[in-house]
Amino acid sequence: MIRFTWLQFRLRASAALAALAAFVVVLAVTGPHLASLYASSAIAGCHGGTCATAAYDFLSRLAITSPYPIVYELGSGLILVTPGIIGIFYGAPLIAREIESRTFALAWTQSITRARWLAVKLAMTGLAAMAVTAVLSLSYTWWADPISKAVGLGGGYNPPFTGGRLSSVIFATGGIAPLGYAAFAFALGTAAGALIRRTVPAMAVTLVIFAVAQITVPLVVRPHLIPPDHKITTIQSAALNFGNLTATVVPGQPGAWIISSAALNAAGHATSALPAACAGATGLKAQSPGPCMTSLGYKETITYQPASRYWPLQWLETAGYLALALAMAGLCFWRVGRRVS
Amino acid sequence: MNLVIDAAGLGKQYGRRWALRDCSAAIPEGKVVGLVGPNGAGKTTLLHLAVGLLAPTSGSIKVLGANPGEDAAQLGRVGFVAQDTPVYPRLSVAAHLRMGAWLNPKWDTELAERRIGELGLDPHQRAGTLSGGQRAQLALALAISKRPECLILDEPVASLDPLARREFHRSLMEVVATQGISVVLSSHLIGDLERVCDYLVVLVASRVRLAGEVSDLVSSHCRLSGPRRDASSLPANQEIIEESHTDRQSTFLVRTADPIHDPAWTARPVTLDDLVIAYMSRPTAPERTGRPTLKVMS
Repeated sequence: MIRFTWLQFRLRASAALAALAAFVVVLAVTGPHLASLYASSAIAGCHGGTCATAAYDFLSRLAITSPYPIVYELGSGLILVTPGIIGIFYGAPLIAREIESRTFALAWTQSITRARWLAVKLAMTGLAAMAVTAVLSLSYTWWADPISKAVGLGGGYNPPFTGGRLSSVIFATGGIAPLGYAAFAFALGTAAGALIRRTVPAMAVTLVIFAVAQITVPLVVRPHLIPPDHKITTIQSAALNFGNLTATVVPGQPGAWIISSAALNAAGHATSALPAACAGATGLKAQSPGPCMTSLGYKETITYQPASRYWPLQWLETAGYLALALAMAGLCFWRVGRRVS
Repeated sequence: MNLVIDAAGLGKQYGRRWALRDCSAAIPEGKVVGLVGPNGAGKTTLLHLAVGLLAPTSGSIKVLGANPGEDAAQLGRVGFVAQDTPVYPRLSVAAHLRMGAWLNPKWDTELAERRIGELGLDPHQRAGTLSGGQRAQLALALAISKRPECLILDEPVASLDPLARREFHRSLMEVVATQGISVVLSSHLIGDLERVCDYLVVLVASRVRLAGEVSDLVSSHCRLSGPRRDASSLPANQEIIEESHTDRQSTFLVRTADPIHDPAWTARPVTLDDLVIAYMSRPTAPERTGRPTLKVMS
């Protein structure tokens, strides 16, 4: 069954594997030069406060040095969509196409039980999906290492090099999380195909559910995988977004992921409007609302995940997605075992 | 007698609809069995239940004495050719044979290659580009090369042209002659089956209406025609399958083990075709009582 799965898989995987290999080659060719740019920049000899400036200079220059911005964005885009593509084009047809083209009657009447047929198909294709995503995400993480270091030093103000490791997109394209996404998307596609029994509708359902998961998890689930920390700080003009009084950085916690923040007035009520007394302070002296608000008794409350929780959050999210993938696989076994014809 | 298919009270329900309901059938081993019935009679459902592609909703079915598809060994004992003979369109003929070899421990490589050679199929051709007849032959080659004890075919020739049908049946007869395995094949047309079958099962609305050796069935039925008479006047040992009347004349198709003695009748033999159509169109289980019992005086 392993050989037969490979025979069928080979037909449909060659184009995708070629595209992946091409991208890895691009990373391999441009990566060493990126590393040498980093090594020869002012970051190498920086200490204390000069590091942020050096990192800012490095990233500003990189943002206008072809091909780094485009490879950076292409890479993260590719890692974000690969699990979805796997789910849609390898998961959804796995069972649905056998039913649609009636070949299940051929496949399931060979001298091999259906459970074994499905186990081999799921395991081989699923592991291949995870391996492909792992190669992609690891090579990209290696390639982007100088950039993430510079962002970590506080130099990330120029697009596209802005987000820290815990920001939604960077988190989803680094570490081991993409493996979890790939396993989940593949199993989701397969289960959708087994339940709907038609390839194209199963593909559409896979796309919708996976997209919804990718949007809601960073917004709703990831912030609470570990109970977030809270902090009440003094108002610091440099760390405040005056439009709605949210915090832009957590004082003393570089790289922390801010989940929510608000200003508290002297009575302790949350507010998003600049007090009238301080409104006049804007305009000419843009930085002065901070001291003004502080003098009125305002403080800033911040809910956040510290940067040190990157790996615990990665593991938890990946484990969650793998558990969902196993549940989906279980659904496939149940459905196929009930003889879908 | 050992049974290829032994079904008792078998039913399969999809939602609220019963595809097969309360079907009981005992099909003997060592025959070429034709399963005939109109579309929707439940033939495909019955055969899918027999190869384990479906699980019964009610009742039970045994194939060669075991539960269909219960393990790999049982799957290996039954060869199946599905309706419209599906194959993997993007895989070559040779790849299908490799699939067979990999997935069936009893695979007969020599037999498979010989069959493909005899059919003149190019091993490198993609199965999707084969003609309907060639595809059916490939499906048959795959089903027999796993060396099953019985072969089940679901309307294998329904979509083939007459020449391809004859070729397919010739291949099937060769298999039967050389391997001596039990065969069950279905069709909604008796014409597809009468040349190849020696046993016939007529299935109408999940019920077996008629089952038996083809030669017995033909010899135990005859068509009587003569002056107009009422059905109730026929002797009780003549089971009336079909009757038709004009003003002056009556024609009956009857089943009887005994010779026809009434001189008023002209008795003619029936064809298998007539017989099957008569049973298919017969209302369910007619009960007639109070008919005369005739005794042969000697």
